Amino acid sequence: MLRNDGPAIETHGVTRRFESRKGFLFRDVTRTDALQGVDLTVERGSIFGLLGPNGAGKTTLTKILATLLLPTGGVAKVLGHDVTQDAAWLRPRMGLVLGGERGLYNRVSGRENLRYFADLYGIPTAEREERIRSVLERVDLLAAADRRVEEYSRGMKQKLHLARGILHRPEILFLDEPTIGLDPKSARETRKLIRSLVADGVTIFLTTHYMFEAEELCPQLAVLSKGRIVARDSVDRLRQLVGGDRTLEAEAYGFDDVEVAALRRLPGVSKVAEEEFGPATRLTIRLRTDEIGIEEVQRALPGHDELSVRERRTSLEDVYLDLVEEEAR
Amino acid sequence: MALVTSEVSRTRSTAASLRLSVLMFLADPQWLIPSMIAPVVFGLVAFELFRGAGPYFLTYAILGAGMMSMWGQTLYGSGWATGQDREFGTLEPTLQAPTPYLYVVLGRVVWNVVSGLIGGGIVYLVVVLAAGGPPALPDPLAFAILFVFVMLTLAAVGVVFAAFYVYTRYAGFIQNIGEFAFYVGTGCMFPVVLLPFWTNPLALFFPPTWALDALRYNSIPGYVGFSWGFGWDLVGAVATTAVYLAIAGTVFHRVERHVLEVGNLSDF
Repeated sequence: MLRNDGPAIETHGVTRRFESRKGFLFRDVTRTDALQGVDLTVERGSIFGLLGPNGAGKTTLTKILATLLLPTGGVAKVLGHDVTQDAAWLRPRMGLVLGGERGLYNRVSGRENLRYFADLYGIPTAEREERIRSVLERVDLLAAADRRVEEYSRGMKQKLHLARGILHRPEILFLDEPTIGLDPKSARETRKLIRSLVADGVTIFLTTHYMFEAEELCPQLAVLSKGRIVARDSVDRLRQLVGGDRTLEAEAYGFDDVEVAALRRLPGVSKVAEEEFGPATRLTIRLRTDEIGIEEVQRALPGHDELSVRERRTSLEDVYLDLVEEEAR
Repeated sequence: MALVTSEVSRTRSTAASLRLSVLMFLADPQWLIPSMIAPVVFGLVAFELFRGAGPYFLTYAILGAGMMSMWGQTLYGSGWATGQDREFGTLEPTLQAPTPYLYVVLGRVVWNVVSGLIGGGIVYLVVVLAAGGPPALPDPLAFAILFVFVMLTLAAVGVVFAAFYVYTRYAGFIQNIGEFAFYVGTGCMFPVVLLPFWTNPLALFFPPTWALDALRYNSIPGYVGFSWGFGWDLVGAVATTAVYLAIAGTVFHRVERHVLEVGNLSDF
């Protein structure tokens, strides 16, 4: 029963509650609502980015979609199949890369790790060795394939996680922080690999802390905060959502409240955020319109000889911080 | 375009798990202690313990020390192998694979049976060397077959223990508490009939109790074990082993569902 039409991922009102028990006879129960009604749609053959602070529920949602965790409520479908009902159908068709130091058999080689999982995924025996060689080459780990995993650096382990995730050629790949721990060159190669997988028709569901990575890779993304999707759109549309494409930054040794209030009153200013770094203060001014520029800000902040003002494009990081801060309030 | 893998072979998954178990064993020198050194110590202690206890003391010594060694290797090892999956963080990717986890566990159990038999063989050699000759066995072939059969009954219990390790990270704690009671209760070193009578019904819940009694009946002339004798011991061993395997098949499915509900797969 193949369903090649429709979205790759579709969730409606997905909730997940965790209970942890502590104390004498485990009678102290703490309940945490990790997901509180997540609605999401991801199209096939695309890269979808999920951003959110630590504890927002990104890994929880990823594990639910990858059939490693059952939702407490709601419906989650991957490739048109319910993750709670059709896990056996879905598992050969999906890959999961959780990354980190754990999750590998450290005392055997990278190649042996892959052989083991190749067998568990039923990769044809005749193809197995070539498939392993191919993925090791793709993640640039071929030279270290026969070394024990315990000798690998964190970045190499991350690459092995990736190799295992794509070994069985999944239709959909869940990547939880795939470039964490990688050096810049390896991270760039990993992003290249992710793009090439999409070119092969694989759908990628990616969680990341790196805003530039999400901006570079993901045409569509969502921001998850406290278990809720607080925004979901393209990067450009999200920029509009938080105020616009232009941002001004003013730096000096301290601004008083009157000056900040004056800035907020300027036409077209949607938000002014204040940030201390060392002895200096940076004001980030988000602009809704083109009515003001550097000169107007300089005029609004007189008496600062050391004042520097510059204009830049509103980054995804700005958008993200705005959305998460708004949700926190 | 992504490709879908071929149908997953359960036999192949079990073989892959067996192969990985062997590789992990060979790669980790600490396993030499329970698998190679402990049987030597058990063999020598049992030889001294049973020396002079009748004409068949050598058989008693081999069975006592052999079972003690194999208990750890086969039963404890089968459960602990799953505990290691928790420790390594490999339980999640393994469960995420399309193979039912039971077949992965079976591969490990097969290796633990083999390593348990190696331990039993070492005990045999140590006792024979200490005594200067082999024990008088009425039927050596039957002895060998029953020895392997005892291993399989231990393995059946081990599979059920493995499910506990999937269920909770506290399984090791539970197994450690039960270790000594189980070891004594199933008659590994001493026949169960020497224990207080009230322990006998409890012991009968465990397949190795029946199998060990059958083994002693077969290899020690004049042995007085359970009153029903060798034949019913065998029947009891086969029946309880089948029950344990059936429990394992059901329990694993439910345990897998439970851990997905609780979300404790990555806990260690």
